[in-house]
Amino acid sequence: MFRNAILRSARAASRAAPRFQTPIARPAARSSLFQSKQIIPAASFQSVRCYSAPAGLSKDEVEGRILDLLKNFDKVSDASKLSASSHFSNDLGLDSLDTVEVVMAIEEEFSIEIPDKEADAIHSIDKAVSYILSQPDAH
Amino acid sequence: MAKLSGLQRDVLALYRQCLRAARAKPAETRKNFEDFTRKEFREHIHLNKKDFSTIEYMLRRGNRQLEIYADPGITNISR
Repeated sequence: MFRNAILRSARAASRAAPRFQTPIARPAARSSLFQSKQIIPAASFQSVRCYSAPAGLSKDEVEGRILDLLKNFDKVSDASKLSASSHFSNDLGLDSLDTVEVVMAIEEEFSIEIPDKEADAIHSIDKAVSYILSQPDAH
Repeated sequence: MAKLSGLQRDVLALYRQCLRAARAKPAETRKNFEDFTRKEFREHIHLNKKDFSTIEYMLRRGNRQLEIYADPGITNISR
Protein backbone atom coordinates (compact mmCIF):
# COMPACT_ATOMS: atom_id res chain seq x y z
CA MET A 1 0.00 0.00 0.00
CA PHE A 2 2.55 2.54 1.20
CA ARG A 3 5.18 1.41 -1.25
CA ASN A 4 2.71 1.84 -4.08
CA ALA A 5 1.87 5.30 -2.87
CA ILE A 6 5.55 6.25 -2.71
CA LEU A 7 6.22 4.89 -6.16
CA ARG A 8 3.21 6.65 -7.54
CA SER A 9 4.17 9.98 -6.02
CA ALA A 10 7.78 9.52 -7.16
CA ARG A 11 6.64 8.76 -10.65
CA ALA A 12 4.31 11.75 -10.60
CA ALA A 13 7.14 13.95 -9.35
CA SER A 14 9.56 12.74 -12.02
CA ARG A 15 6.90 13.32 -14.62
CA ALA A 16 6.08 16.76 -13.22
CA ALA A 17 9.66 17.83 -12.71
CA PRO A 18 10.74 18.12 -16.37
CA ARG A 19 7.85 20.40 -16.99
CA PHE A 20 9.17 22.99 -14.52
CA GLN A 21 12.90 22.57 -14.55
CA THR A 22 14.14 20.50 -17.43
CA PRO A 23 17.90 20.75 -16.86
CA ILE A 24 17.91 19.16 -13.35
CA ALA A 25 14.96 16.77 -13.62
CA ARG A 26 16.81 13.83 -12.03
CA PRO A 27 17.88 15.38 -8.73
CA ALA A 28 14.44 16.90 -8.20
CA ALA A 29 12.76 13.52 -8.62
CA ARG A 30 15.20 11.85 -6.24
CA SER A 31 14.72 14.44 -3.52
CA SER A 32 10.93 14.19 -3.63
CA LEU A 33 11.24 10.40 -3.28
CA PHE A 34 13.51 10.89 -0.29
CA GLN A 35 11.08 13.31 1.36
CA SER A 36 8.06 11.08 1.06
CA LYS A 37 10.03 8.26 2.70
CA GLN A 38 10.90 10.51 5.63
CA ILE A 39 7.37 11.67 6.25
CA ILE A 40 5.87 8.21 6.68
CA PRO A 41 7.83 7.07 9.77
CA ALA A 42 7.28 10.46 11.41
CA ALA A 43 3.51 10.01 11.14
CA SER A 44 3.64 6.80 13.20
CA PHE A 45 5.35 8.51 16.16
CA GLN A 46 2.59 10.85 17.17
CA SER A 47 2.14 9.60 20.75
CA VAL A 48 5.40 10.99 22.13
CA ARG A 49 5.10 12.08 25.78
CA CYS A 50 6.47 15.51 26.59
CA TYR A 51 8.96 15.76 29.47
CA SER A 52 6.79 18.32 31.21
CA ALA A 53 3.77 16.05 31.39
CA PRO A 54 2.88 14.79 34.90
CA ALA A 55 4.16 11.29 35.59
CA GLY A 56 0.82 10.11 36.99
CA LEU A 57 1.79 7.90 39.93
CA SER A 58 -0.42 4.90 40.48
CA LYS A 59 -1.65 4.03 43.97
CA ASP A 60 0.15 0.67 43.96
CA GLU A 61 3.43 2.25 43.01
CA VAL A 62 3.24 4.89 45.75
CA GLU A 63 2.27 2.23 48.30
CA GLY A 64 5.12 -0.05 47.22
CA ARG A 65 7.71 2.70 47.44
CA ILE A 66 6.55 3.76 50.92
CA LEU A 67 6.54 0.16 52.15
CA ASP A 68 10.05 -0.39 50.78
CA LEU A 69 11.21 2.74 52.51
CA LEU A 70 9.77 1.58 55.84
CA LYS A 71 11.28 -1.88 55.41
CA ASN A 72 14.69 -0.24 55.37
CA PHE A 73 13.93 2.00 58.34
CA ASP A 74 15.83 0.64 61.33
CA LYS A 75 13.29 1.66 63.96
CA VAL A 76 10.40 -0.45 62.68
CA SER A 77 9.97 -3.00 65.47
CA ASP A 78 7.88 -5.63 63.72
CA ALA A 79 8.31 -5.77 59.97
CA SER A 80 5.58 -8.43 59.65
CA LYS A 81 3.01 -5.82 60.62
CA LEU A 82 3.91 -3.68 57.62
CA SER A 83 0.90 -3.34 55.38
CA ALA A 84 -0.85 -0.67 53.39
CA SER A 85 -3.00 0.26 56.38
CA SER A 86 -0.37 0.20 59.16
CA HIS A 87 -0.41 2.97 61.70
CA PHE A 88 3.05 4.33 62.48
CA SER A 89 2.79 4.32 66.26
CA ASN A 90 0.12 1.68 66.93
CA ASP A 91 1.32 -1.00 64.53
CA LEU A 92 4.96 -0.23 63.86
CA GLY A 93 6.00 0.98 67.30
CA LEU A 94 7.33 4.32 66.10
CA ASP A 95 7.28 7.36 68.36
CA SER A 96 6.61 10.93 67.28
CA LEU A 97 10.28 11.63 66.45
CA ASP A 98 10.43 8.50 64.26
CA THR A 99 7.22 9.57 62.53
CA VAL A 100 8.86 12.88 61.65
CA GLU A 101 11.80 10.95 60.21
CA VAL A 102 9.54 8.70 58.17
CA VAL A 103 7.63 11.66 56.75
CA MET A 104 10.93 13.36 55.89
CA ALA A 105 12.09 10.19 54.14
CA ILE A 106 8.83 10.09 52.17
CA GLU A 107 9.39 13.73 51.21
CA GLU A 108 12.80 12.86 49.87
CA GLU A 109 11.60 9.73 48.07
CA PHE A 110 8.99 11.68 46.10
CA SER A 111 11.05 14.89 45.93
CA ILE A 112 8.43 17.17 47.42
CA GLU A 113 8.29 19.27 50.55
CA ILE A 114 5.41 18.63 52.94
CA PRO A 115 4.49 21.66 55.07
CA ASP A 116 4.61 21.12 58.85
CA LYS A 117 0.86 21.22 59.25
CA GLU A 118 0.20 18.48 56.71
CA ALA A 119 3.18 16.49 57.93
CA ASP A 120 1.79 16.45 61.48
CA ALA A 121 -1.41 14.86 60.18
CA ILE A 122 0.31 11.89 58.53
CA HIS A 123 0.21 9.04 61.03
CA SER A 124 -0.34 6.00 58.87
CA ILE A 125 0.71 4.55 55.55
CA ASP A 126 -2.66 4.99 53.85
CA LYS A 127 -2.71 8.67 54.86
CA ALA A 128 0.76 9.13 53.40
CA VAL A 129 -0.31 7.39 50.19
CA SER A 130 -3.39 9.56 49.77
CA TYR A 131 -1.34 12.70 50.47
CA ILE A 132 1.23 11.78 47.82
CA LEU A 133 -1.50 10.99 45.31
CA SER A 134 -3.04 14.40 45.92
CA GLN A 135 0.27 16.16 45.11
CA PRO A 136 0.62 16.76 41.38
CA ASP A 137 4.38 17.38 41.54
CA ALA A 138 5.29 14.21 43.44
CA HIS A 139 7.29 11.75 41.38
CA MET B 1 -0.91 9.11 68.28
CA ALA B 2 -2.66 11.27 70.82
CA LYS B 3 -3.31 14.89 70.04
CA LEU B 4 -0.10 16.81 70.54
CA SER B 5 0.24 19.95 72.61
CA GLY B 6 1.60 23.14 71.10
CA LEU B 7 4.92 22.65 72.83
CA GLN B 8 5.22 19.09 71.54
CA ARG B 9 4.53 20.31 68.04
CA ASP B 10 7.23 22.95 68.45
CA VAL B 11 9.72 20.24 69.38
CA LEU B 12 8.77 18.16 66.34
CA ALA B 13 9.05 21.25 64.14
CA LEU B 14 12.56 21.87 65.45
CA TYR B 15 13.44 18.22 64.80
CA ARG B 16 12.20 18.56 61.25
CA GLN B 17 14.17 21.79 60.75
CA CYS B 18 17.31 20.08 62.02
CA LEU B 19 16.90 17.17 59.60
CA ARG B 20 16.24 19.61 56.76
CA ALA B 21 19.41 21.49 57.65
CA ALA B 22 21.30 18.17 57.60
CA ARG B 23 20.24 17.67 53.99
CA ALA B 24 22.15 20.78 52.99
CA LYS B 25 25.38 19.25 54.29
CA PRO B 26 27.81 17.29 52.09
CA ALA B 27 26.53 13.80 51.28
CA GLU B 28 29.39 12.01 53.04
CA THR B 29 28.93 13.79 56.39
CA ARG B 30 25.17 14.13 56.29
CA LYS B 31 24.70 10.94 58.27
CA ASN B 32 26.84 12.37 61.09
CA PHE B 33 24.57 15.39 61.32
CA GLU B 34 21.47 13.21 61.32
CA ASP B 35 22.87 10.94 64.01
CA PHE B 36 23.84 13.95 66.06
CA THR B 37 20.31 15.35 65.77
CA ARG B 38 18.80 12.02 66.74
CA LYS B 39 21.11 11.66 69.72
CA GLU B 40 20.48 15.19 70.99
CA PHE B 41 16.71 14.71 70.92
CA ARG B 42 16.71 11.14 72.24
CA GLU B 43 18.86 12.16 75.19
CA HIS B 44 15.97 14.14 76.61
CA ILE B 45 13.09 12.03 75.44
CA HIS B 46 12.16 11.05 78.99
CA LEU B 47 11.55 14.61 80.13
CA ASN B 48 8.14 14.92 81.69
CA LYS B 49 5.83 16.60 79.21
CA LYS B 50 4.56 18.91 81.96
CA ASP B 51 8.06 20.19 82.61
CA PHE B 52 7.44 23.27 80.50
CA SER B 53 10.35 25.43 81.63
CA THR B 54 12.94 22.73 80.93
CA ILE B 55 11.42 21.92 77.55
CA GLU B 56 11.29 25.58 76.62
CA TYR B 57 14.88 26.00 77.68
CA MET B 58 15.92 22.96 75.58
CA LEU B 59 13.97 24.36 72.62
CA ARG B 60 15.79 27.67 72.83
CA ARG B 61 19.10 25.88 73.13
CA GLY B 62 18.24 23.66 70.20
CA ASN B 63 17.29 26.59 68.01
CA ARG B 64 20.54 28.34 68.83
CA GLN B 65 22.54 25.20 68.09
CA LEU B 66 20.70 24.73 64.81
CA GLU B 67 21.58 28.29 63.82
CA ILE B 68 25.24 27.60 64.50
CA TYR B 69 25.44 24.21 62.81
CA ALA B 70 23.38 25.28 59.79
CA ASP B 71 26.25 27.57 58.75
CA PRO B 72 27.53 26.29 55.39
CA GLY B 73 31.09 26.64 56.72
CA ILE B 74 30.47 23.69 59.02
CA THR B 75 30.85 20.55 56.94
CA ASN B 76 31.29 17.82 59.51
CA ILE B 77 30.43 17.01 63.09
CA SER B 78 31.88 14.45 65.47
CA ARG B 79 29.52 11.96 66.95
